[in-house]
Amino acid sequence: MFKNHLKIAWRSLKKQPFFTFLNTFGLAIGMAGALLIALYIHDELSYDKMFADADRIYRINADVKFGGLPEQLGESPEPMAETLMRDYPQVELATRIRDQGSVLIRKANVTSNVKELNSAFVDSTFFKMFGLAFLDGDVTTALTEPNTLVLTRTAAEKHFGVNNAVGQEMVLNNLGTFRVTGVMEDMPKNSLLRDHTVFISMPSFQFAQIGHWGSLNYYTFVKMVPTADMANFQEGLDSLLGRYLIPWIQDYYPGMTEASFRASGNFINYSAMSLTDIHLQSNMKTELSANGSMQNIYILSFVAIFLVVLAVVNFMNLSTAYSLKRAKEVGVRKTLGSDKSDLVRQFLTESGFICFLSLLLAVGVAFLVLPLFNDLADKAISIPFQNPMFWAILIGATLVVGVLSGTYPAFFMSRFIPVKVLKGSGLSDVGGSKVRNSLVVFQFAISILLIVATVVVYQQLNFIQSKELGYEKAQILVLEDINNVNGQEQSLKREVLRLGQVQSATLSSFLPTPSARTGQTFFKEGANNQEDAINMENWRVDHDYLSTLGLELITGRDFDVRIPTDSSAVIINEATLKTLNVSAENAIGLRISSDLGASEDAITYQTIIGVVRNFHYDSMRKNIEALCLGIGRFPGSLAIKMGTQDVTATVSAIEGIWNTIAPGQPFNYYFLDDSFNDSYDAEQRLGQIFSVFTVLSILIACLGLFGLATFNAQRRTKEIGIRKVLGASISQISYRLTTDFLKMVGWAIIISLPIGWYAMNQWLQDFSYRIEVQWWMLLLAAFLAIAIAVLTVGYQSIRAAVANPVKSLRAE
Amino acid sequence: MLLQLKNIFKWVNSGGQRIFLLKDINLQVEEGEFISVMGPSGSGKSTLLNVIGMLDTFDEGEYHFLDESVHTLKEKHRSNLYKEYIGFVFQSYHLLDDLKVYENLEMPLLYKKFKGSERRAMVADMLDRFNIVGKKDLFPAQLSGGQQQLVGVARALIANPKLILADEPTGNLNSQQSEEIMQLFKRLNEEDGVTIIQVTHSEKNAAYGSRVINLLDGRMV
Repeated sequence: MFKNHLKIAWRSLKKQPFFTFLNTFGLAIGMAGALLIALYIHDELSYDKMFADADRIYRINADVKFGGLPEQLGESPEPMAETLMRDYPQVELATRIRDQGSVLIRKANVTSNVKELNSAFVDSTFFKMFGLAFLDGDVTTALTEPNTLVLTRTAAEKHFGVNNAVGQEMVLNNLGTFRVTGVMEDMPKNSLLRDHTVFISMPSFQFAQIGHWGSLNYYTFVKMVPTADMANFQEGLDSLLGRYLIPWIQDYYPGMTEASFRASGNFINYSAMSLTDIHLQSNMKTELSANGSMQNIYILSFVAIFLVVLAVVNFMNLSTAYSLKRAKEVGVRKTLGSDKSDLVRQFLTESGFICFLSLLLAVGVAFLVLPLFNDLADKAISIPFQNPMFWAILIGATLVVGVLSGTYPAFFMSRFIPVKVLKGSGLSDVGGSKVRNSLVVFQFAISILLIVATVVVYQQLNFIQSKELGYEKAQILVLEDINNVNGQEQSLKREVLRLGQVQSATLSSFLPTPSARTGQTFFKEGANNQEDAINMENWRVDHDYLSTLGLELITGRDFDVRIPTDSSAVIINEATLKTLNVSAENAIGLRISSDLGASEDAITYQTIIGVVRNFHYDSMRKNIEALCLGIGRFPGSLAIKMGTQDVTATVSAIEGIWNTIAPGQPFNYYFLDDSFNDSYDAEQRLGQIFSVFTVLSILIACLGLFGLATFNAQRRTKEIGIRKVLGASISQISYRLTTDFLKMVGWAIIISLPIGWYAMNQWLQDFSYRIEVQWWMLLLAAFLAIAIAVLTVGYQSIRAAVANPVKSLRAE
Repeated sequence: MLLQLKNIFKWVNSGGQRIFLLKDINLQVEEGEFISVMGPSGSGKSTLLNVIGMLDTFDEGEYHFLDESVHTLKEKHRSNLYKEYIGFVFQSYHLLDDLKVYENLEMPLLYKKFKGSERRAMVADMLDRFNIVGKKDLFPAQLSGGQQQLVGVARALIANPKLILADEPTGNLNSQQSEEIMQLFKRLNEEDGVTIIQVTHSEKNAAYGSRVINLLDGRMV
């Protein structure tokens, strides 16, 4: 019987190629989309799980407020690892990673440097903690001595080749000469250390063993014994404050107790976060590498479910519509002795058959577009063809989809009553049109929702990108690694300024783009105690900073080279006024200091000479906080304002200057507006992903609508013929056929717009600076939906309307 | 006695009025009869046939088929009954377009759960008997109307029903094809003892039968 079902399925699908195509293609698109999303989510969920004992590894986080604003950090103090190891038997192993960022590295006998983007000082237990094996060298002793380092395969290949690296000498700029003691496999792409290529021994870092509880610079990982009670461990972490931190603070604030520390609103809370939670749940001020977000996982899961549901709905709709053509078959089969359950099985076999065709097509499509998707999502996902689990899940999911999409049509069709359907030879109306219509409404409602979401996401992005930032980001080239020119930065700046196209340049520690910065504690003159301390960012700049970046002073003056005392002057931003609780006028001349706790005569004060209008130096997700600029030599970068002409020539001229002043150092630069755009990468990607899947869902909905319109035109051939004979015009008839569908779209609009408005307003809450959802965005989505529907249905309607009535009536 | 209808009424309500489709039908059919039902359009011929075939219900009266009281049976039992004992022949043949002749014949056997070897034997026998062995791998669309109806009759007969119900079996055929089908019915009736009830408009076709029932406005006259 099953064989017979399959045979019938194949033949009836072959007989209606158009219907089969619509159904298969629609399902395949939905499945391919969902498959890609599932692979993406699977990849996101797999982060750091490949490490041995990953479930027993935790990172110590710190939730800190000590003067200033509260901060959440993934880093802890330097003695943390050692202390935990010593005091807590449930800690099997503790290790530290001190992120060092980019380093310039070269073989001892060559002069030109290579820039490695991510390096870190690590304890020698690092490899044991994460179960990392070496390709060459001894993993147990590799980083026990000062001035040793371990390279990953990729990094080793750049200089020596994998097997020749161990024992070689390398020079790290500003850090000295190091011996390579090991080569390890590259870090897995889905691990938090994926970008790190150079691991330097912790003993090489001079401050790594001084027992300083105050600075939070070490990512501390602990591996717990299998039986460890985490609640108990948390209590232990809570007791660290009283046992270690307060005694350490007392060196600086004699007489401070835990009670008085807390009484001034301060806290330092340590907690253990599971290694495998870090990627999706940790959103600290600093991280070892950029994390994903659970929110995006949820959003994408919804999109995937939407896609499949849309495709399933499509399938149901088309199947029931086209089943009218098979009503006769059902009638005949019933008179020949078929049970209802036989018919149900037969139709389920058919939908299962289509589902598997779609599955094959979907896997093919997914395979073809995977490179594009990887590009879009910034991933390196591959389809695990060899994995039997993958196929098992895929086939299981397909069966579920087959049953979901086939059940309603199967029961619908098996209910046909023989006497009714065997009467005529033409198509009879067998009902179910209400269900079909509501399914179309549902599909369009989802499509409209997705359109609204796409429009709002893009509008918000646009808003961010075009918002008045308070500084000029256009035509500013940023030279990196200025600290590697061996103190020649002033002459570099002078030389660059001579170039015709260069308007101005500034050396500074920070530029107004999101980056890892921490605040510093300040106080107003005369308010030198903990409670009155304020937290603000403190940037070192030079005299040309304001003019180069176009920052606007609202009161006071810019730094002036001719006034020597300006070396101890600061310019604050508007937000600082609020923190200091002064007006702009009164702020000028006010003195502040960061020498908290020092005796009065040891304090050095800085005088406020100007206030700049607030500018967006961090993500639009955050509010603008207090910030002060002071003259200082702490150059991180040289920002160069250029004219709009001959950009390429100017860049190569700057490179020429760089090569004379800093021979052998890599020339790294970027444009400030690119960097700005990069910081909204996540939103950009979300926007792109949204638009891709919106297009897919609309496509699916259109396939369904097109199929229904085609079918409807066929079913109403007789009605159309009669109307024409009675004198209806072509336009009247096509209008009639089209408006039927537009009514459904109308309902979809009514249902989906309020939901879309609400949902997108929720999404926007994440941004401190955001747009409102405007009526025109909703209107645009509605208009698009109507336009798409008209285009889809219109063709069929007109074709039906121009057909010769004699033909259609005779056929009946 | 094969079946008996006693005071069968069937009606529909339209605009507050009761319109009778069948009115007080009393009919007794013996095994081996060949009955022709005649009457003008709308007189209730097809309705009567559908009621006898248990595809349609009635509103009042009693219907006994073999030893069963059809009017007291549940839907499920009723359909089991007709599947077991009744074969249908339609005016527009109603062969399944997607199936070959062979497969069309096999279909009722599949539903009755015959084994593969049995099915093959029975289908081969039927093809032989109707002289359509050469057509077994053709699709219905490749056959003439007469040949299609031949297959239709063969399909109705294949599971050895006690009764064949034929609703204008020659309505779509030309006179020569009609003649052949009616000859076939006659032979089946006389040689194999199959009971046949046919609906027809043609006096000539009705003459093949042993008894004629005339209907007018749902009444036997």
